Amino acid sequence: MMTATVSRWARVRDSFLWYSFKRDKVAIISFIVLLAMVLSAIFAPLLAPTDPYDLALIDIMNSELPPVGMSGADGAFPLGTDAQGRDMLSTILYGTRVSLMIGFGAVILQAVLGILFGLLAGYMGGRVDAILMRIADVQLSFSTLMVAIIVGAVFKASFGSLMFGEIAIYMLIFIIGLAEWPQIARTVRASVLAEKKKEYVDAAKVMGFRTNRIMFRHILPNTLSPIFVIGTVQIANAIISEAALSFLGLGMPETQPSLGSLIKSGFDYIQSGSWWITLLPGLVLVVLVLVINLLGDWLRDVMNPRLYKG
Amino acid sequence: MRKLLTAFVGSMALAAAPLALSAEATKELKMAYDADPVTLDIHEQLSGGMLQLSHMSFDPLIRWNKDLGFDARLAESWERVDDKTMRFKLREGVKFHSGNELTTKDVKFTYERLKESSDYKAIFAPFTGINVIDDYTFELVTAEPYPLLLNTATYIFPLDSEFYSGETEDGQSKAAISKHGSSFASGNLSGTGPFVVTSRQQGVRMEFERFADYWDEASPGNVKKIVLTPIKENNTRVSALLSGGVDFIAPVPPTDLDRIKRDKDTDLVTMSGTRIIMFHLNQDRVEAFKNPKVRQAVAYAINQEGIAAKIMKGFATPAAQMSPAGYSGHNESLKLRYDVKKAQELMKEAGYEDGFTITMMSPNNRYVNDDKIAQAAAAMLARINITVDLKTLPKAQYWPEFDARSGDMMLIGWHADTEDSANFFEFLTFCPNADTGAGQYNAGNYCNPEVDALVAKANVETDREKRAEMLQEAEQRLYDDAAFIPLHWQDLAWASKKNVKLDPILNVMNLPYLGDLVVE
Repeated sequence: MMTATVSRWARVRDSFLWYSFKRDKVAIISFIVLLAMVLSAIFAPLLAPTDPYDLALIDIMNSELPPVGMSGADGAFPLGTDAQGRDMLSTILYGTRVSLMIGFGAVILQAVLGILFGLLAGYMGGRVDAILMRIADVQLSFSTLMVAIIVGAVFKASFGSLMFGEIAIYMLIFIIGLAEWPQIARTVRASVLAEKKKEYVDAAKVMGFRTNRIMFRHILPNTLSPIFVIGTVQIANAIISEAALSFLGLGMPETQPSLGSLIKSGFDYIQSGSWWITLLPGLVLVVLVLVINLLGDWLRDVMNPRLYKG
Repeated sequence: MRKLLTAFVGSMALAAAPLALSAEATKELKMAYDADPVTLDIHEQLSGGMLQLSHMSFDPLIRWNKDLGFDARLAESWERVDDKTMRFKLREGVKFHSGNELTTKDVKFTYERLKESSDYKAIFAPFTGINVIDDYTFELVTAEPYPLLLNTATYIFPLDSEFYSGETEDGQSKAAISKHGSSFASGNLSGTGPFVVTSRQQGVRMEFERFADYWDEASPGNVKKIVLTPIKENNTRVSALLSGGVDFIAPVPPTDLDRIKRDKDTDLVTMSGTRIIMFHLNQDRVEAFKNPKVRQAVAYAINQEGIAAKIMKGFATPAAQMSPAGYSGHNESLKLRYDVKKAQELMKEAGYEDGFTITMMSPNNRYVNDDKIAQAAAAMLARINITVDLKTLPKAQYWPEFDARSGDMMLIGWHADTEDSANFFEFLTFCPNADTGAGQYNAGNYCNPEVDALVAKANVETDREKRAEMLQEAEQRLYDDAAFIPLHWQDLAWASKKNVKLDPILNVMNLPYLGDLVVE
């Protein structure tokens, strides 16, 4: 057991991935920033000074206090408060958590659907391929945001807003995941088409392995690198989609804000002095999406065989 | 004699001609409100937005002026015949947009339609009839001596009886009033007012053109065309004014008052208002609200001062009752009662220590910062363990929900139509009665026949002091009973470009008389 982990770590250290990571300052910084954000989001309940979801702790008299360092600031609220008197630091920590959960959750759902349909379409070919890819084409012709707005509005109307508040996060994962699966499915299908002509697949067939085993144990591992690259970019996209939906009022409710709904709630105040309500969560969102995209770029460069083997 | 008079009037008209020329309507006004009128039928809904439309496309018999006196409009003069009858003389030669001429038959038609309207019939309940004397003379008759007869006459905007009579192609009566439905009147309009509606896309844009045959030639107004665009977002509306996209906006959000004051190209007009913003607690939907202790607990949990100071930025007066200072029903002894400890105790006494869950509804483009007020109230109720499911809606969708009483707590703002305390009670706290129209906007279904009787008695009391005493007692009893949760009286603010001379046309009723607006 021990030797296995050591040898695995050694394998990582010897890999090209680690080698290029060590030499890429941008990747290192992005990774550290992302790690810090993910950790602070996971441990938000421990780090945050107050619980922003508990309405009973909010006092309207504390509303619109500026961040520490400006006149009128209160030390209890390091990043100031919003228009309802919520502590911005706590709200941003919890908001980042919600945004990240939606980002990762949606991409996992996309990946499950995308890999399944992509593998089936690519490997089976023929009618299965035609049907699945036409469905993907039809879905790609709708904009993600439009699908999400329609589904979101229907959900909200049918569940009532309290119920909606409880399930909003799962619903957003579902909507964004469902709307974007064709991206991954198409990538997977393209790789599968290239892989299935190779000798090792023929060998597996000759040895009498079942289709499922060939698809998932032999071909899938060889198509993973493009999935990683596209998955990273899709996390950033999902976070942005969620922020856009929340900004339009169809995402997370004001009582459990994500970064997007925080930005929206401060929008009325941005030009009348209380800029921090919108600007701070906005900055956090930009940094979050930026580091994910930078990591995605780096990953693409590393995993592109033409770039490192040629 | 008559000839002489005509000659005299004619020469006067000639003398006034240069003045009239200078006031020739040539200007275009682009304005942005938070919402556009929900219908074109002015009797479908009694609301500030509808009255604003009424003053643009119709004219009342008489109207309030800035000093809260009355100006003659379509009624040229009026006199008391006896203590129950008032005789009005109608202006001659007034034309409707359709070209028909205004006579007493239009007034009679309007009066009868008002009596039918579910929103207006309570206001006109004291009236028993209208006597038509001749084409230009009529009398309004009340059952008892009614001190507010003239106040009520400001609500009679004569409709074009010929235009609104008959049947549409699909066999509906053109006079029908259909609440939140589609009727002939909700899509077509013919009044005597200064502006004709030329195009309307609900929620997007509304265009008005000055009525060429408008009777009031003495009006200084020189606006030829009005384009009304609803802009719901506060920030966007203010930006539209500051960037020059529109010339006139209302309401101005309290957060942006300083910004507009600082801008040297814009004018800001503010007034302290008399519109009460309040919550109803629906007893039919929530069993707990039948318990006065629970209602009191809610009243103790709400921090009116906090809302007025922080959300309204001091641009509102915190309220403990409905009647603002200066109204006869205003009771000085009623104080704000924010006290969370007391509220928690009351919940405990009522047996609801662990609280319960309710739904709350609020419009998000009707009153100043209405959705934010509701959010703050929801947070305050969390302290006494009441969990709030808050839903905020644009007003076009809010009013149907309000009429259906579909929320456990609903926000409403009310401006006393008659500038008198009794109007608050009649609409907001009277036992709901669809036949008389009493309690038409009482979304709490609170019912206290004793208070109703007291107010009804006050309504026929001609001794002002005695009347005030009764109305103040009514406020006291509703306060003790926590019949509703008052929040504040909302102040008023409008802003325009410097060349739009707003100040003379504005009033505390928030009914800009745009027909008299001068744009330089």
